[in-house]
Amino acid sequence: MTTTDHMSNEETASPGTGDVVLEVSDLSVTFPSDDGPLPAVREVSYVLRRGEALGIVGESGSGKSVTSMAVMGLLPKNARVEGSAKVLGQEIVGLKDEQISKVRGNRIAMIFQDPLTSLNPVYTVGYQIAEAVLAHRKVGKKAATARALELLELVDIPNPEQRLKQYPHELSGGMRQRVVIAIAMANEPDVIIADEPTTALDVTVQAQVLGALESARKETGAALVLITHDLGVVAGHVDRIGVMYGGRIVEMGPVEDVFYQPRMPYALGLLGSLPRLDEDRSERLTPILGTPPSLLSLPGGCAFAPRCPMARDLCHEQEPRLLATDGNGERVSVQVGDTDTHTSACHFSDELENAQPTDLFRGTAVEADTTEAAEEQAEQAEQALAEVDGTSGGAAGGSGREAVLTVRELVKHFPIRSKGLLKRRVGEVQAVSGISLDLYEHETLALVGESGCGKSTTARLMLQLIRQTSGEVHYRGQPLHSMSPRQLRPLRRDLQLVFQDPFASLDPRMTVADIVAEPLRIHGQGNGTARKRVRELLELVGLNSEHGARYPHEFSGGQRQRIGIARALALNPKVLILDEPVSALDVSIQAGVINLLEDLQDDLGLSYLFVSHDLSVVKHIADRVAVMYLGKIVETGTAEDLFRAPAHPYTQALISAIPLPDPVKERTRERIVVTGDVPSPANPPSGCRFRTRCPKFADELSENERVKCVEEPPELVDRGAGHPDACHYSRAVELF
Amino acid sequence: MLVYTVRRILGAIPILVLASVLTFVLIDVSGDPLTELRMQQPPPDPSVIQLQEERLYLDRSMPERYWLWITGIGGHGDIGLLQGEFGPSTQSNSYDIGAAIAERLGTTLRLVAAAMVFALGLAVLAGVISAMRQYSKLDYTLTFIGFLALAMPVFWFAGIMQQAGVAFNDLVGDQVFATIGDGLYQAQGEDLWGRITNAFAYMTLPTIVLMLTSFASWSRYQRTSMLEVLNSDYVRLARAKGLPNRVVIRRHALRTALIPLTTVVAVGIAGIIDGAILTERVFQWRGLGEFFITAVEANDSYALMAWLLLSGVLVILANLIADLLYGVLDPRIRYE
Repeated sequence: MTTTDHMSNEETASPGTGDVVLEVSDLSVTFPSDDGPLPAVREVSYVLRRGEALGIVGESGSGKSVTSMAVMGLLPKNARVEGSAKVLGQEIVGLKDEQISKVRGNRIAMIFQDPLTSLNPVYTVGYQIAEAVLAHRKVGKKAATARALELLELVDIPNPEQRLKQYPHELSGGMRQRVVIAIAMANEPDVIIADEPTTALDVTVQAQVLGALESARKETGAALVLITHDLGVVAGHVDRIGVMYGGRIVEMGPVEDVFYQPRMPYALGLLGSLPRLDEDRSERLTPILGTPPSLLSLPGGCAFAPRCPMARDLCHEQEPRLLATDGNGERVSVQVGDTDTHTSACHFSDELENAQPTDLFRGTAVEADTTEAAEEQAEQAEQALAEVDGTSGGAAGGSGREAVLTVRELVKHFPIRSKGLLKRRVGEVQAVSGISLDLYEHETLALVGESGCGKSTTARLMLQLIRQTSGEVHYRGQPLHSMSPRQLRPLRRDLQLVFQDPFASLDPRMTVADIVAEPLRIHGQGNGTARKRVRELLELVGLNSEHGARYPHEFSGGQRQRIGIARALALNPKVLILDEPVSALDVSIQAGVINLLEDLQDDLGLSYLFVSHDLSVVKHIADRVAVMYLGKIVETGTAEDLFRAPAHPYTQALISAIPLPDPVKERTRERIVVTGDVPSPANPPSGCRFRTRCPKFADELSENERVKCVEEPPELVDRGAGHPDACHYSRAVELF
Repeated sequence: MLVYTVRRILGAIPILVLASVLTFVLIDVSGDPLTELRMQQPPPDPSVIQLQEERLYLDRSMPERYWLWITGIGGHGDIGLLQGEFGPSTQSNSYDIGAAIAERLGTTLRLVAAAMVFALGLAVLAGVISAMRQYSKLDYTLTFIGFLALAMPVFWFAGIMQQAGVAFNDLVGDQVFATIGDGLYQAQGEDLWGRITNAFAYMTLPTIVLMLTSFASWSRYQRTSMLEVLNSDYVRLARAKGLPNRVVIRRHALRTALIPLTTVVAVGIAGIIDGAILTERVFQWRGLGEFFITAVEANDSYALMAWLLLSGVLVILANLIADLLYGVLDPRIRYE
């Protein structure tokens, strides 16, 4: 199965393409919709050389996924595809399905985002890999299964023989994504397209899967197109990068050039709106105002112009072409095959030489509803905030202040019941196993950990939305844990919640004003006062107060999250529990919401419990951090301390697994890697719960030392790191 | 899988017991089998009534009668399900309910099974085609037929089909379709080919009538389930592997899209048994439907109980089969 014997089938590669494995030129994709044609991708061109890795970055709706689906010929029939996409010189666009299927999975393979749904639940893993082999090779079933085994080994799956016979639901998310990678590698393709391959995974698992992808690629020599919204993921894994916006590539070039010398305001803005692990908290994020354009009504000129701080008349009139950035004065278009040149689509990209995000974008909290109002609103918000700025101090640390919420030895076990009539109790999920926390006045305490660690359960317990198995929750000295629902109700005013998903947490049948006013009504405020308060609240979170009569679907994700925040603030709470408040938002939008939260805290003196898996955001916003693993807190301290010198191996691994949006740093940094998946909370390991994945336990400790980890659960105490950790052998390590 | 099978079978037993209790109580409270006798003018001799009460065990309390009905212990030898006796009939002293059921069960099952098989086959076909050609003319046509079938009452449609059958016979001048009777008598002594033509003649029209409603609802269900699977990530991955379209459809889409249908079909069998009563009535089959109607007319409580319990057993059996099939089709269920 060599490349040459394939190419001889249909069309031979045109001369001059050399080692180009994928060539996309002027590719456009249009979907019909009730509101007219929807141009999802517009004139995208790029080439991919043998063995090269190209990153395509963009926010939701930028067309990055549609482009790759078009290249794979996987778009629905109603999509209109124009232009050309050649795999090894063979044209894919317009090819019949039977012919594309000879190329798909053979010369070009794809990895999808969600490993939980990518595999067919009714076939074994081995069958599904072997199927990919058999689709293109004339070999027997036995040989295909042998190849499947080989592939599982290639992607580092432990006990591959056993795994072959298992069904997808018996494997964890990370394992399943490795299986998908194995399927992609089955016929040693020349091109692999990975569409957000790790977005659905936890960071430590993400690091493992990216590693598996890398090594599999090394083995087969496949070129990679890595599609992602995560600038950190591309920074360390690709040679070149293309930034997409509004269905077009707006900037493209070697990864260092684009990261260090962005020449398109959008790319610069993206970098500025990203909270970073390797930077100081004091720097304010600079969000891009406004929202990505609707593809149905793209602006006449540059698609980014309505959000661009340096937009001029020309930008609104004429769409800039993708041109080389380095020609002094005269900018030239680049030959299709030229992959080394840094190109950007901006009329004034010369002015961006050595520009910093802060030169262009401002750290305002306000997101504009309409572009005309953007400027004005930004100013209003800044004025409003300036008035209260005098009273605020953003200092960290909880000492000396009053604890607002205290949690002591909190335990929550969920029963596992047997199927059938009897529903016997056959075990329990130990979601939270004895944690103690203090949330002080006017501080942000972050609760971080991977999925299933019990952080959301803890948040719900603190609000008494669910009741604890044992333990205590006090709010300003009042025992919430023992109060009846009726007694709790008046206190609920002070404790409010902001949800993760801004699409699911707002009733689509209620107007925004009704949504925000609902808590007021429940707590007995009249219509007149409520209406006035709603207007105040909408303005407070940076929305146009006139828009109260609209429905949630008329707003973007970031705006909806602001509505959710306004609702939470309606009753003047003292404490906000924020459960992953920005993780569903695009980067450029996320920054605005983070800034808003910071401003509101200063303005209203709120205490935040910030539940998140995203350490970069946590580092940016939190005063103190508690790291959770399998229902227990493994390390806690001020954000500054904890990120500078983490002591627990899990915290170290977590921090080092987060990709930095900086190509050089990302490639050279020291890594502490954890292996495997989080054990089931129904049956946690004895002693230290982290020991099964602990790099220290595996590599550094002697047999005698390990006994302690197995037998004795470590206490959460200060072992010399300056803050408490729960590791018998902890040692603070500086990672940056 | 063995544990799963045993567990499902054991799980069916309490449901069966519950079904028997419900059957008994519902029929028992629904009326006095001797109403007609008691209402006679001039009134019959009290001893006659007493004799009948004793014969039908009406002189005993309800729990006693239930016990008797199940076990037959303390009866006159004509009652006790566990002994294979269904109880005395009001229709006549010599009417054997068990024998009557045995005689008719085959007739009805033939119709029910044929209707199920054809409804299922056609529903899957129509559902898959509709899903693959979503919003095409064909899809709209099949959708229209589906809703039309759902909206038509069985007895009315049965009448129409009879007329149509007669009209067709007149047109071709031959007895292609029989519109009356179950044809079992006529099939006696025929060779294989004769039996086949006989079955075609007598069964075609009733089967079409009986399967129509089920076909309509199942095809809609299959369409939805197929659409969902066709848009799933794993079907996309199967395409990305380079499998030919027909393999993707058959192996990855249809295979998984059939899983939810098993439940719907199992639940739907109750509706088919229901429809069989009316269909048999219109086409004058000597099946369980006719047995049921006669029993209602005669206020024959033991016969009604027998029919109800038998239907209950069929439904429970169908659900058991569906459960086991589910285990075969879906590995996630098997390993619970």
